[in-house]
Amino acid sequence: MTIKRNLITYGIALIIILVLNFILPRIMPGDPLMAIYGDEALVAMTPDLEAHLVERFALDQSLWQQFYAYITAMFQGDLGWSYYYNSSVLQVIFARLPWTLLVVGSSLVLSTLLGIVLGVESGWRRGSKTDRVMLTGLMSLNGFPDFFLGLVLLIVFGVLLGIAPLSGALTPYSGLSGLSFVLDVLKHAALPVAALTIAHLAGGYLLTRNTMITVLKEPFMLTAKAKGLSQNVLKYRHAGRNSLLPVITMTGIWLGRVVTGALFVELVFAYPGVGQLTYQALLSRDYPVIQGIFLIVAISVLIANFAVDLLYPKLDPRVSHAH
Amino acid sequence: MHISLKKELKQSHIGKAGIIILVLVITLAILAPFLSRYNPGQQSTASLLSPSGVHWLGTNQIGQDIWSQLLYGARTSLLVGFGVGIFSLILSVLFGISAALVGGLYDKIVMRIVDAFIVIPMVVVVILVAAYIKPDLPVLILLLAVLSWQGGARVIRAQALSLKESGHINASRTFGAGQLYIAWRHIVPDMGPILLVEFIYGVRRAVFMEAGLAFLGIGDPMLVSWGTMMRDAMKFSYLDVWRWWLVPAGVALSLTIIGLTFISHATESVLDPRLRGGAVA
Repeated sequence: MTIKRNLITYGIALIIILVLNFILPRIMPGDPLMAIYGDEALVAMTPDLEAHLVERFALDQSLWQQFYAYITAMFQGDLGWSYYYNSSVLQVIFARLPWTLLVVGSSLVLSTLLGIVLGVESGWRRGSKTDRVMLTGLMSLNGFPDFFLGLVLLIVFGVLLGIAPLSGALTPYSGLSGLSFVLDVLKHAALPVAALTIAHLAGGYLLTRNTMITVLKEPFMLTAKAKGLSQNVLKYRHAGRNSLLPVITMTGIWLGRVVTGALFVELVFAYPGVGQLTYQALLSRDYPVIQGIFLIVAISVLIANFAVDLLYPKLDPRVSHAH
Repeated sequence: MHISLKKELKQSHIGKAGIIILVLVITLAILAPFLSRYNPGQQSTASLLSPSGVHWLGTNQIGQDIWSQLLYGARTSLLVGFGVGIFSLILSVLFGISAALVGGLYDKIVMRIVDAFIVIPMVVVVILVAAYIKPDLPVLILLLAVLSWQGGARVIRAQALSLKESGHINASRTFGAGQLYIAWRHIVPDMGPILLVEFIYGVRRAVFMEAGLAFLGIGDPMLVSWGTMMRDAMKFSYLDVWRWWLVPAGVALSLTIIGLTFISHATESVLDPRLRGGAVA
């Protein structure tokens, strides 16, 4: 039942994404070819190429046929051609994707784990001074936009202290390999990951803290206490584990936020991921790349959300038995 | 649903702090022309000056006074924030309440579309659309509002569904009240606190988005914005200028968002009364 409903939701989301991507360049005033291919294509344009492109996009035919051509090309993995990079859009994006995945993946795991631990500790001590300080502090941190946090970290650790690299993902022309290569990657990723982790810490923290507060009032907590269990077992095995479920449902949404946060943070650190690619594509009006990034980011977030939805009933038997 | 929001806010230190911060930012934005001697757009040859009695926070790379940019930047942030907040709240109320009252297929369709929008990361949609249409201020406000009403509609629908069955609304129905009358005279007024919470969420999201988009260089380049200031200042971070250029813009933006976060946290207990009250065991 819920799976069917979810499928419909994700189906609609996918259609919205595809239609947006298809319709935007075509409703712009002026030559749609320009809007599909960007300024750079104009330089390379010859009558032959133009004829080829018009045919490729079925631009001389009805909107439905154009949409059909667009969808078939996409399912063949053809996201278009970037005249700026003179390479296929898929290749351009895939070359940048690993760096973004590294930063986004580490920040999502770190911020979620740290958020859960802080939330459990804070909720356990609800109303105490420690709780209030943590709550106020983390909510204030939540107010700092990730790119500003990144800039602050960059200035403090990169410019003032000089202990972190200022830009990039690797030391250029160093020819490092093995362990020193890994260390170099980690050194460059440390500040972007730290900025994203701190900026997204509050989500997991607030949610865990709120659930903790409700779970602590449950009768089974009293039973557990009456059994004489130690405090840590009470806190993490009983209350903490039950506070985990809402966090899991949110990870799909948080992934979306961390990914978009990474788009901004990469710009600060000149980190060669998808974020920087987006920025360059916006500057050079490389529309095929902008469209490709939109498609890949949006669909990845959809898939992650769907995976979470599928996983959730397995983790919480109450959900699957409810129907 | 009869909870006094005023009382809720007064009891919470965090809420009070949030209101003080927000009032401060609003005051600075309103008084901007009286607090600065320069027009924020006015350029001069004196670029990248250090702070002095003449230019309190120095000047930027094209000789504009940074202090007045900071003040007028508050206007942009607040205008986008409150504009989007109001528009998206109107859309949330419209779709949320109509879905709850009409029900049936209409409810199903609206809620499926709402759910679909919630799982699409909004920032990338805005980047894509903005790359094509290069929005000016009114278009940006509309664009952000159209993309951000969905979460609120869901909350408002849930609330309207439970209100729909309550005694006084059933009573008014027996007196012959129509759906529109019930929505406007009974449901909307009963939802006051929730509408305020949703409004503040919307404002906060929009302030954040406006700065982020300006930071990426999307949008009206002529608009004075904290995001644009940070983007320009970032290019000169190897100089000392970040001290009076980058940091003030970033702190102003963060403080505004923190103020809104504090207020929404204090009002959140309205949505979830379980979070209210003192310590437990």
